[in-house]
Amino acid sequence: MENYNSAYFKQLAKQLRFDLSDQEAQDIVAEFDTLLNQLSLLETIDTEGVTEMILPFEEETTFMREDTVKNVFTVEEAMANAPKSKNDYFVTVKVVI
Amino acid sequence: MNIKETKNISTPNERVEKALKLAHQGQPFLNAVVTFVDPENQLENLKNIHPDAAFYGIPIVLKDNVNMKSIKTTAGSHILANYVSQYNATITDRLQAAGAIVIAKSSMDELGMGGTNLTAATGPVYNPYDLSRMSGGSSGGSAVLVASGVVPFAIGTDTGDSVRKPASFNGIIGVKPSYGRISRYGIIPYASSLDHVGYFTRNVADAALALEVLAGRDDLDMTSSFEEVEKYSANLNGDLSHRKIGYIANVVRAIENQDVLTMFNSLIEKVQSTGAEVVPIEMNEDLLNAILPTYYIIANSEATANHSNLDGLRFGVQQAGNDIEEIMSASRTAGFGKLIRKRFVIGSFSLFVENQEKLFRKAQKVRRLIVEDLYRALNGVDGLLAPASSCGAPKLQDNSLDQLSSRYLIAENFMVISNFSGTPSLTQPLGYVDGLPVGINLICHPFEEKKMFEIAAGLEKLTGLADCIREVGE
Repeated sequence: MENYNSAYFKQLAKQLRFDLSDQEAQDIVAEFDTLLNQLSLLETIDTEGVTEMILPFEEETTFMREDTVKNVFTVEEAMANAPKSKNDYFVTVKVVI
Repeated sequence: MNIKETKNISTPNERVEKALKLAHQGQPFLNAVVTFVDPENQLENLKNIHPDAAFYGIPIVLKDNVNMKSIKTTAGSHILANYVSQYNATITDRLQAAGAIVIAKSSMDELGMGGTNLTAATGPVYNPYDLSRMSGGSSGGSAVLVASGVVPFAIGTDTGDSVRKPASFNGIIGVKPSYGRISRYGIIPYASSLDHVGYFTRNVADAALALEVLAGRDDLDMTSSFEEVEKYSANLNGDLSHRKIGYIANVVRAIENQDVLTMFNSLIEKVQSTGAEVVPIEMNEDLLNAILPTYYIIANSEATANHSNLDGLRFGVQQAGNDIEEIMSASRTAGFGKLIRKRFVIGSFSLFVENQEKLFRKAQKVRRLIVEDLYRALNGVDGLLAPASSCGAPKLQDNSLDQLSSRYLIAENFMVISNFSGTPSLTQPLGYVDGLPVGINLICHPFEEKKMFEIAAGLEKLTGLADCIREVGE
C-alpha cells in the first residue's frame, strides 16, 4: 500500500496546477481512509466480463447536416473575457526566452 | 396557483415587479441570488411574443452555470467571478422565446460539485423553513427562490441529485428528465456523462408545462435526443387506478426517522386505495452500497478533465506569475475552493495509469451493473418510489452522518442511479417532519416523462401538497 501522506497529495495537486496548504493536505489524508473504505465496496462486486458504461444511452447520435453558418462568435466576443489582449491575441508572459 | 392561472390575473410587469421585490426582501436572509438581472429589455421584447406563449411574462431564475448573454456566469466559483457570458445557452433562448423573464442568476455549489450549497463563492444559501439549515445543493439558490415564493420556476442542473435533493429539503417539485431530453449547450459542465438540466416548480402542472418549453433536439449538443417531445401537460387528471407502482424496499429500510417512514407508508396506503397496485421491490444491496463510490470516481474524474481549462489565461480571474506555470497555479489555487481542489485530487488519483483499471474502469463497469439492476427493478412497473431524503434539511455544519452507514450510502445517495442510467426522475413534497419538508422521489423508464407527470399528479392529489410557499423577510 502506497503511503498516502501530505507530501503525496501536495505533489498530486502540483500536477493539477494548484497548491494545497499543509492543513488542506492533512485534511485529505484524514478523510482518505473513509474514502478508501468506500472505494473498497467496489472490490466486492464481480465485474468479470462486464464492459464499461460510458454514457447512459449507448445509441450513436451521428447525423448529417448542411454546413450552414450560424452561431457566429466575433473576435471581440471571443476576447471579451481575456485578462489581457492585444491585436486580437491573448497576451501572457513570454513562454520562449 | 399554476403558471397558466397566474397569467390570467396579472400583467407581466406586475409579476416581475413582485418577484423582484420578494427576491430583494429575502436576499439578506436566504443569500440565494448571485446576480440580479435587469428585466427591462426582456419585458420590452414581449411585444414580439404571443401572449399565449407558455411562460409569457413569467419571472424565472437561472442557476449561475447557465449562460445568458451579457450577464455574469460565475458557476459559484471565484475563478469565474468576472466571467461575462457572450452567448445564450440553448435553454435561455427557449425560455425567452416562450416569454420568460429572467430576473436573477442563482447561487450554487462551486462548479456544481456539492450537495449542500455551502461551497458557493458567495457563501451558503439558507433554507426558508429554518434559516439555520442548509438549502441543499448544488442548485440551492434556485430551489430556495421557488420555495420562498419569488418565482414559480427556476432552472437547476443535476449530476448526482442536485435538483431532486434540494427540492426535498424545500418542499417543492424538482425534475430531472431523461439524459439528452434538455440541451446542455451553453451550460458550464461538471461531469458530462452524468450532467442533466433540471428545474424546480411548485406544482406538477407547471413541471409538465415547463418540459414542453425546454425539451427537444439541439444540434449544438451532441448528446441531445431525437425522441419526440410530447404534450406533457395534457390530461394530468391524477388517475392512478390503472397503475402498477413499485417502491425500493432497501431505501425504505435504510431510513431510521419514524416520522418519514410513517408519512411514506401512509402515502403508499393512499395510493393502494385508488386501485393502483403497489409492490415492494428489492434491489441488489451491494450495488446500492456501491452507488456513492462509483459516482465519486466517475464524477470527479470527468470534472478534473472538464475543468482543466479554468486556468486564468484566456478567461476568468488571473493571478500574477513569472511564467505560464506560475500564473496557472496561482490562479487555480486562489480560484478554487478547498472542497473543489480535494475533489480534483481524488479525480486525478482515479485517473492515474496505475489506478485506472482498479478505480476508473472498475467504476464504469459497476455503473453498468447498477443500471442493469435498476432496469430489472423497473421491469413490469410504471415507476419506482422512495423517500427523497432520510430527514429534513440538515443544520449548516452537520457532519454527524456515518459515511459508511446504509442510511448515508443508500437512503441519502440512491437518486444518483437516475444519473447513471439517464432515467427521468422527479421529487415532490411528501410531508413535514418537525416543520421541515421531506420529499418523495419517483423514477420512471427513459423518455416516459409523460407517465412520470401523470403519476406525480396522482401523488400530488393524495398528499394535497401543491403550491407550498415559505416567504422570508417580511
